[in-house]
Amino acid sequence: MRRALPLLIGLLAASSILSPALSPAARADDTLSFPVLVPLTGFLSLEGTSQRNGAVLALGQTPAGVAIASEVVDTGTSPEAAVTALERAGGRGTVGAVAASMLGTQMLAMLPLAQELKLPLVTVSGTASITEQGNPWVFRFFPGDAVTKAAHARYVVEELGKRHPAVIYQTTAYGQSGKTHLDAAFKALGVTPVFEEGVDPAAKDLLPVLTKALAAKPDVLVLHLHSGPTALLLRQAASSGVALPIVAGSAMHQPSTAALLEPAELKGVCAETAASPISGGTPEVKAFTDAYRAAFDKEPDAFALGQYDGMTMVLEAVKAGARSPDAIRKALSAETFKGLAMTYKSDGKGNMAHSAVIVCYDGTSRVPVLAKRYDDPALAAK
Amino acid sequence: MESVVLGTGALALLVYALAFASPYGLRVLTVAGVYALATFGFQIVFGLGGALSLAQGAFFGVGAYVTGILGSRYGLGFEATFPLSMLVPLLLALPVGLAVLRLESHYFALATLGIAQVLHLLAVNLPDLTGGSNGLAGVPPAVLFGWTVPRGLPMAGLVWGLVALGGLIGWRLARGRLGRSLTMLRDDALAAATLGLDVGRLRLAAFGISALFAGAAGALAVHTQRVVSPEVLEFPVMVSILTIAIVGGRGRMAGAVLGAVLLLHLPEWFRFLERGYLVVYGVALLATVVLAPDGLTGLLDRIAAHRIAVRLFGRKPRPLAAAKEPPLPPAHPSGLSVEGLRKSFGGVRAVDGVSLDLRPGIITGLIGPNGSGKSTVINLLSGLERPEAGRVLLGGQEVTGARADRLARAGLARSFQAAALPDEAGVLEAVAAARLAVDPDAATAEAHARWALDRLGVGGLAGRSCDGLPAALRRRVELARALVRRPAVLLLDEPAAGLTDGEKAELAAVLRDLAGEGMAVLLVEHDMGFLLPLAGRVLCLDRGRVIYDGPADGVRRNSAVAEAYLGPAGSA
Repeated sequence: MRRALPLLIGLLAASSILSPALSPAARADDTLSFPVLVPLTGFLSLEGTSQRNGAVLALGQTPAGVAIASEVVDTGTSPEAAVTALERAGGRGTVGAVAASMLGTQMLAMLPLAQELKLPLVTVSGTASITEQGNPWVFRFFPGDAVTKAAHARYVVEELGKRHPAVIYQTTAYGQSGKTHLDAAFKALGVTPVFEEGVDPAAKDLLPVLTKALAAKPDVLVLHLHSGPTALLLRQAASSGVALPIVAGSAMHQPSTAALLEPAELKGVCAETAASPISGGTPEVKAFTDAYRAAFDKEPDAFALGQYDGMTMVLEAVKAGARSPDAIRKALSAETFKGLAMTYKSDGKGNMAHSAVIVCYDGTSRVPVLAKRYDDPALAAK
Repeated sequence: MESVVLGTGALALLVYALAFASPYGLRVLTVAGVYALATFGFQIVFGLGGALSLAQGAFFGVGAYVTGILGSRYGLGFEATFPLSMLVPLLLALPVGLAVLRLESHYFALATLGIAQVLHLLAVNLPDLTGGSNGLAGVPPAVLFGWTVPRGLPMAGLVWGLVALGGLIGWRLARGRLGRSLTMLRDDALAAATLGLDVGRLRLAAFGISALFAGAAGALAVHTQRVVSPEVLEFPVMVSILTIAIVGGRGRMAGAVLGAVLLLHLPEWFRFLERGYLVVYGVALLATVVLAPDGLTGLLDRIAAHRIAVRLFGRKPRPLAAAKEPPLPPAHPSGLSVEGLRKSFGGVRAVDGVSLDLRPGIITGLIGPNGSGKSTVINLLSGLERPEAGRVLLGGQEVTGARADRLARAGLARSFQAAALPDEAGVLEAVAAARLAVDPDAATAEAHARWALDRLGVGGLAGRSCDGLPAALRRRVELARALVRRPAVLLLDEPAAGLTDGEKAELAAVLRDLAGEGMAVLLVEHDMGFLLPLAGRVLCLDRGRVIYDGPADGVRRNSAVAEAYLGPAGSA
């Protein structure tokens, strides 16, 4: 013990000396900082990387006369790492807003500290409860589950005419939140799923749950899974000759998910999402897609676009004169912003996005086509 | 001197926290404290006890959920939630421990991992209680007797105050009877049982204590995060605790603190590398394990033991306790009686109807060719094997099939064919381990151990390590370990193997003295020149059966014995 303590002292001293030394150069006093705190490692790394890229691309549009700084920090998948990252970011100069993790449990952990530090969190997390905490510092630029799952269920029932869905969801915050909202949406449509089961994101074989689902005689498979499990289940369904239509969650629309599958394995598969930039659209969306590909050598998805829109709205507020986190929060709370994916407007709780789309694959390419758009603002209330 | 260094270290920590640490630095320090506290418990069950409990992360999570649920749903303060967060994991650990602690190494690890998985599933699938996968948000900060402990310095102070208290408790446990008994258990569970240590009870105690520490750490973790979700029950928490223990130094409370401080700060220093920090983190961990295989505390020990360091700073050997004769237990006038002992392994009957009497003051020899069942008889008599049939009486009491630790406490001691001394232990510690089950504290056990070492003429070895001792001295130390318990019956398995003639003569004199004091001695030996002059009576086994039972001087003339060793007369 007595020999250990000098080393402890050394470590702590090194901590205080190394941290500033290894960090980006000291900033001018008038620099506004926009830290990007997202999961780059762990089971959400694909989505988190999209989020990072969207934020970084947006922050490249520095408003004239304003010094902008940004630092990307990996939050992994633990709430503890996210809170520590936020505390770290909060202590470095004037923070305008934070591009915050899309992982619901990390957001829930960051919220009390964000309120204490008075920092706006701009996220694309779909977990419903993050905007139900009465915290005025959170802004979600991706439709919440109340919106997307209503669209999901409506497409299944109203467009496909199916009334016996089998629902397979993930046993994570994302999965449970989505399942709850799917249940409510199906109930509102007078439909009761014939099968519902949660699967662990680490499961390496989804054939058992698929077999059980098919045994319940469904007329459609409804998935709400993360990227990897979505691809695994679709591959196993295709190889088992499942002919039922499949309507998946937003993870399916990601190009990185589609890249895990052959186009033929995607035939008849649809997915809900906020947007699908690679499916084309306005010239502005095409310009975004081109810029994204050039910058990151990857295909953009709705998470990238949502985070891009969110940080662009933040920068619009800065352009309009907001120089403090509170001024940015007020702008995000009050203003309407026409982004690339949709028009954003807070519902008073920080839900900025109220539109969802359904995209479908035709079996010949990995680029989906827009099948249905749900712009009804009342979706959010359902 | 030690108190000066300790005070300096505490002061340095305080100065860092007060003068240098940012709120972020304080948070990292706070989280490091939380993990240090969890690792204290793991050091006891794994570091000292050698049981790879993968439930430590789960107990951490249970403590976190107790505080999260009681704090957020029922508004209970820290003074209520903190003890309950320790109590609930303990109450969970006790029945679980009773079920799984008898399992061996990797089976035990898997079973404890299973516990963690079950708890994780419950947390995910009981949303009404736990909030499901989202967990419970809005956990209040620690409220201590009406005072809300703010984040930053006060929270770091609370956590590190509890770390100091927990570290002190852990350190005292590690140095006391429990810690030494667990170390003995870790090094050689069979030998520990024959020294009277109740293996099951000790492991259960360690498991329970580890749960207490983990629960305390989990409670503090929730107050720093303000949210509890199933991530606290996931494997990464367990991996962090395990890594901290290994990197810091297995079994050392200082190692838990060093490991936690290093491993929690290391990734933070390289955050600017985005996901590349993991590569640096991995390389740094690998370098630490390669350069310091015994952990950082082991590395510091090596540095401190270096000649230059000793010359510069001096090194005082640990003061040894004064020798003290251990009290004699009540005499067993009837010694040990065995009737019809039988034991088979598969289709082989290793011991078949063996009967013998070990009388006080008599040395009884047990001979026989290799594989005749001698060691199995000793294992049966000392409780390491259970007989299928037969009866054993010790001091007139029925002890057939009794556990080794019960037999040891009843007055039976044994040695092993290969001296079972832990290489990492000092000679004095190794001998004192034999008194841990009976003496009130470790210091008394050491005083008694010195007496035994002196008695056998190896008192000078007290300050040495068992590692590297010559065979003769190892046997002498092991005999001291048996002797220090003042047994009524002493079973010795080939004690003269590898000794020179001079050393054998010295050993023979010691054994005669012990018998002269009233001890019943069973001596398994191949060396007839050593055994026959010593033994008053000799039994010879062949294929598990007694083929000779009589005076020592009759053995050489017995044709059955000669046939057992040499084969039938006239055979090729």
